[in-house]
Amino acid sequence: MKHLIIIVTLLFSGLVSAQSNYEKGMQKAFELWGSNPIEAANLFERIANAENDNWLPAYYAAQVNITSSFGEKDEQKLSAQLKKAQDLINDATAISQDNAEILVLQALLHTAWVAYDGATYGMTLSPKVVELYTKAKALAPDNPRVVYCNAEWNMGSARFFGQDVTPYCKDLEKAVELFANFKPETPFHPNWGKDRTIMILESCGK
Amino acid sequence: MKNQLLIIFVLTSSWIGAQTVISGTVTNTKNELIIGANVYLEGTYDGGTTDENGQFSFKTDETGSQILLVSFLSYETFTMAGDVTFMTDLKIKLREDVNTLDAVVLSAGTFQAGDNSKVNVLKPLDVVTTASALGDFVGALQTLPGTTTVAEDGRLFVRGGDANETQIFIDGIRVFTPYSPTTNNAPTRGRYSPFLFDGITFSTGGYSAEFGQALSSVLLLNTIDEPDQEKTDIGIMSVGATLGNTQKWEKSSVSVNASYINLAPYNSIFTNRNDWIEPFETASGEAVFRKKTNTGLIKLYGAFDATNFELIQEDINNEDGLYFKLNNNNLYFNGSYQGVLNDNWSVMGGFSYTHAKNKFNVGDLAIKDTENSVHTKLKFKNRVSNRFKLYFGAEYFATDFQENFNDLTITDAKYGYNNNIAAVFAEADIFISKSLAFKTGVRGEYSELFKAFNLAPRFSLAYKTSEKSQISLAYGNFYQNPSSNVLKFNQDLKSQNTSHYIFNYQYNQDRKIFRAEAYYKKYDNLVKFSDEFPDFNSTFSNDGTGYAMGIDFFWRDSKSIKNVDYWVSYSLLDTKREYNNFPEKAQPNFANPHNLSVVGKYWINNWRSQVGFSYAYASGRTYTNPYEEGFLNSKTKSFNSLSVNWSYLLSPQKILYASINNVLGFKNVNGYQYANSPNMNGNFDRRALRPATDQFFFVGFFWTISEDKKSNQLDNL
Repeated sequence: MKHLIIIVTLLFSGLVSAQSNYEKGMQKAFELWGSNPIEAANLFERIANAENDNWLPAYYAAQVNITSSFGEKDEQKLSAQLKKAQDLINDATAISQDNAEILVLQALLHTAWVAYDGATYGMTLSPKVVELYTKAKALAPDNPRVVYCNAEWNMGSARFFGQDVTPYCKDLEKAVELFANFKPETPFHPNWGKDRTIMILESCGK
Repeated sequence: MKNQLLIIFVLTSSWIGAQTVISGTVTNTKNELIIGANVYLEGTYDGGTTDENGQFSFKTDETGSQILLVSFLSYETFTMAGDVTFMTDLKIKLREDVNTLDAVVLSAGTFQAGDNSKVNVLKPLDVVTTASALGDFVGALQTLPGTTTVAEDGRLFVRGGDANETQIFIDGIRVFTPYSPTTNNAPTRGRYSPFLFDGITFSTGGYSAEFGQALSSVLLLNTIDEPDQEKTDIGIMSVGATLGNTQKWEKSSVSVNASYINLAPYNSIFTNRNDWIEPFETASGEAVFRKKTNTGLIKLYGAFDATNFELIQEDINNEDGLYFKLNNNNLYFNGSYQGVLNDNWSVMGGFSYTHAKNKFNVGDLAIKDTENSVHTKLKFKNRVSNRFKLYFGAEYFATDFQENFNDLTITDAKYGYNNNIAAVFAEADIFISKSLAFKTGVRGEYSELFKAFNLAPRFSLAYKTSEKSQISLAYGNFYQNPSSNVLKFNQDLKSQNTSHYIFNYQYNQDRKIFRAEAYYKKYDNLVKFSDEFPDFNSTFSNDGTGYAMGIDFFWRDSKSIKNVDYWVSYSLLDTKREYNNFPEKAQPNFANPHNLSVVGKYWINNWRSQVGFSYAYASGRTYTNPYEEGFLNSKTKSFNSLSVNWSYLLSPQKILYASINNVLGFKNVNGYQYANSPNMNGNFDRRALRPATDQFFFVGFFWTISEDKKSNQLDNL
């Protein structure tokens, strides 16, 4: 029985190694993301370093840093994390210009500052965020993340000015539709945001 | 069975390949463990993350010589090259990155406003939401410590220095005529709208060797690198109108801004101490063009304004008042380039041209003057390492000033001067650690006019005393040629000189900031002249001296009370000088010992409004009382003013703004003018120098039209 297990394991690992290093690495990093985001970010960064012409690992390394900075209260830590994320976004942009996915991520990075201290950063960063979404929309009007992130941003601003958020529910509905039809280019291309869109839509206008 | 397993294990591992284990521990220079550092071989997927003991261990198939990298947030990336077989039990120490938020800052003497600096005292928004400032950045800076309140003037008076001792630079290039001219009882304004700038550095002493020809202070303004979006701004105000527009393209952008101010309607409603013949009227336009190149940024900035007014002012020696007429045209152009040459070298070059023309009539006098000035500068930066940066450069200032004088007896007298100065400077920033940094430099200047060379050393040091606090020291030598009112009559002089000694303490915690700065400033070679006003018959010398010392306090808290932001500045000043026509050392009338300023802002979410106030107190100013012995022997009563403002967001893009300066109507006196000769009873009559108006009311409506429907002009008010 033990032999059998070993043989199966060997066979399986032989099968796995048929995958490229890149695929293995990316898969591993995605698995780590849930349990150990630091490790995941580090792995994405290593892959980015090895794959000089692929924007995806740098994109994800930046995304891990940005996502984990939401809710961070320590300004020093936040600033270090977002500076790192900005460097990674710059790397990704250098490889892939005029990429709507990267523009959305850049907008999220600014949003992290606004979320941290709206009074200080809202006035200066808001126009930059809006400009990024405008550009992203022009490049990829049917990208669900562009539509949903823009809608969520608009809802946040509307709440700040005490205005009605219901006009943006329609955008979210559209985003859900777009998500249903969205096919990422490769299994590792960005494909996130559907669950959150549905979650926000459910509470929309309520 | 055990043997079998062993065999299989050996077989398996050999089948997988010969792997090397790379392991070690990562700490910082204080031997504290670093958790979560990324350790990997460059260009491979092989790597690991340090655990809670700072340890890492990973296997690699790579052989031979490889590069090991260790990176972690806020630390410099560690690099090690070597054979992988030797990479076991490594003890790696990461050095702190000195470019992080919590690193020490060379801040003695400097106040910054902007997004990029680590020690923001003011936010860009403050320039314009400060109640007393009326949208003038100079007005907002007057709420900072180190400045004295000279209400009727409006320029910056820093630490016992007169207004000429502060120089203003746009994108590192000198502005020769920064203020609009005005009558002598109404404050002037900066010529440049806050709209086009996003970084302001105000140094009240001890500044970098890059800046010269300023005895007391420099104000550095940076134009926006890249506007956020295309938009149109419309402003309709009780005193005029403004219009702005920004256009963006792929690599370049243009912003234009025009404004027209006319005080005629205002003067017809509110009483004014001046008797206006032609109302105060000014038209101005500004434009900025920016273009990104592959490795740099080109900026062109141009501003033009024309100001006219004509009036009769009260005068104690002249029953009918004193006639005054002014016609001013001012053109300023500034071009700069900033670029990266390679990984370590960058360059900045710039050029400015000023053409200023004044025509004024005072009583029977008619004076016309023309100033043409040029400034060019070239500066290199060499980033030798993260911890050692070298700056050096050269610059050239040229001024050609010509005046034409007419009165009842003299016709068409012409005179003037050329004041050209060449300068070189070099400076180094040295970070010993995250807690200790130096800046040291030297500046050499050659004045063609005086055929003299000056060498001015500068030094500053900053040391972090705790997580939130630091102390700084600064020393510097500063030279400035005399101003045009002297040079136009006499050029056989020397450069005036000051030395600054500054000690600064700063505490900075989560949107709360406290600063205390003590200083001593010594003046030498100040210009003296023999008459009340200098002219060709006056005798001039460089025998003037003086000193200023004091302590400045600043406290700002944007955190403790929700939606409330306030700051308090207090300056204590002791100064005396002998210069101009002073017969003896005296406290000049623009320097008062106590200055207090309190600014508060409250955002009311339900009303979509921001209300603010600004209070200024200044102790009495000196004047000469002929009934008493001595010069500048008496003091006026103290100055008080409370200003309030209210901005209301009608919609995110429409703002209604109102402000009242001196809402409580304090009757402030700036000084006294005594009659030249006694009256019939043998007494000298006197007249209190009062502002043109005690109060000022302002109402404006500002509308922004932009793609995002959200930006507004709140930051321009």
